[in-house]
Amino acid sequence: MMLLFDKLQSLGHSSLTSLQRLGRGHVFLMQVLPAMEGMLFRPGLLIRQMYSVGVLTLLIIVVAGLFVGMVMALQSYYALVDFGAEDSVSVMVVLSLLRELGPVVTALLFAGRAGSALTAEIGLMKATEQLSGMEMMAVNPIERVIAPRFLAGFLSMPLLAAIFSAVGVMGGYLVAVELLGLDAGAFWSQAVSNVDLYHDLGNGMIKSAVFGFVVVWIAVFEGYDCVPTSDGLGKATTRTVVHSSLAVLGLDFVLTALMFSE
Amino acid sequence: MHKKVQALTIPAQRIKIIPDSHPLPKGHDLSDTLIKIRGLKFSRGERMIIDGIDMDIPRKGITAIMGPSGTGKTTLLKLIGGQLHPDAGSIEVDGQNVHKLKTSQLYALRKRMGMLFQSGALLTDLSVFENVAYPLREHTRLSEGLIRQLVLLKLNAVGLRGAAQLMPSELSGGMARRVAMARAISLDPMMIMYDEPFTGQDPISKGVLVKLIRELNNVLDICSIVVSHDVQETLSIADYVYVISDGEIVGHGRPEDCKVSDSEWIRQFIDGLADGPVPFHYPAESVLDDLITGNTKS
Repeated sequence: MMLLFDKLQSLGHSSLTSLQRLGRGHVFLMQVLPAMEGMLFRPGLLIRQMYSVGVLTLLIIVVAGLFVGMVMALQSYYALVDFGAEDSVSVMVVLSLLRELGPVVTALLFAGRAGSALTAEIGLMKATEQLSGMEMMAVNPIERVIAPRFLAGFLSMPLLAAIFSAVGVMGGYLVAVELLGLDAGAFWSQAVSNVDLYHDLGNGMIKSAVFGFVVVWIAVFEGYDCVPTSDGLGKATTRTVVHSSLAVLGLDFVLTALMFSE
Repeated sequence: MHKKVQALTIPAQRIKIIPDSHPLPKGHDLSDTLIKIRGLKFSRGERMIIDGIDMDIPRKGITAIMGPSGTGKTTLLKLIGGQLHPDAGSIEVDGQNVHKLKTSQLYALRKRMGMLFQSGALLTDLSVFENVAYPLREHTRLSEGLIRQLVLLKLNAVGLRGAAQLMPSELSGGMARRVAMARAISLDPMMIMYDEPFTGQDPISKGVLVKLIRELNNVLDICSIVVSHDVQETLSIADYVYVISDGEIVGHGRPEDCKVSDSEWIRQFIDGLADGPVPFHYPAESVLDDLITGNTKS
């Protein structure tokens, strides 16, 4: 009986802790969003973070995009060639990339590379009292540290997703046309005629913007809210990757259901 | 002059007023109070960190707050700087109740405060020069040339003008604290708070920091608050000393009086005794119950 009570108590405690964190995360977001206006007067802060969060993530996005596109083309070809529909490989590749793989895989890679780096950087600034030091210098760290990173991450994600998809399509072209010998004209004409600008490309961009917002929110909050020890920082970085990935996959289902249901 | 401090409501059973046998140094006027703390209480969870402290810190001179580790000294500095909110009581800095100020007012007050963190808290992505220039760039519209001159003057004051282009990762612990001192005085504050400035320093670095704290205070004619548990260094520069234990003031007075105090709290702290009012053993069941009979729950 005591064991049951202990379990219940433990469950209640962890539920309350999670709810508290969720509440703190929303209060934090309410502090960060108004601080964005400071970027208008200090664009240099944003540009530096765009480089750090966006440009430095480019390599992994390009490489991953290329291979995902190549694999997609290969798998589509093997599946469609039995039905004599191999000319539709490009449609499979392009639609998969624009609607799903581009936003989702980019967000997962972004969480692993940029999200964890943001959490570690902000957490380390907290652990080494840099954030407290800024406060005591009458400088709001939310404005100077958090807001530029948040905005940079939010703006970078759709751009990275677009690059991922573009490189993925090129990878698919290389495999389908150059390796498997499909007709280049058929590849492009099938792709263009079956892709809708708003429905496919637009929704994909909206998805990536939503994923970017959520991933960067989790990343900067975990850094700002972490226990300022090496253990706390390690856990916060892990939480960023795990929570971001789960949030992206969960949201992807919801957004897909909303966007692509007939 | 000193009676004002003695009249404070400090727990009677623990407080030991150190005799007023030495004249206060010139400029150390206790009637001209910059920081007035009354009935301050602060807790984390169920643990009381600061338990009803009253304190007056004069506008000029060096006031040391000493005590064993974990007794709430750094917390007290964070409360004075408005980074933490007390459970009860008030802190007035230059006549302003810190915890009733709006954010903009608090930030305006902080521009007049300098703080030296235990780690230095230098911004690691900026050079030494840029760290010292940081408050000037944030809060003034001075020309680049003037900022350069001011920064080099501040760095010269701490002996590190030649290290202006180094990055924080290239500095020793003592140098990092000296850079942090230069940054703390960049806006010519009315007060500087030093959080454990001597911890982890070699004897030479300690000597340099002791000299700098004393000289900066004399030259700038400001209020310096030094939180430390390094007895000799702190007593050598302080004009007035508060000793804190378990979140309460257990004694206060001039450094000379601290050295000869017969308070068992102060004696244990000054002489570094392992056991005394601050017990050697963390509270626990008796050894017999714990180890022999096994009656207690582990």
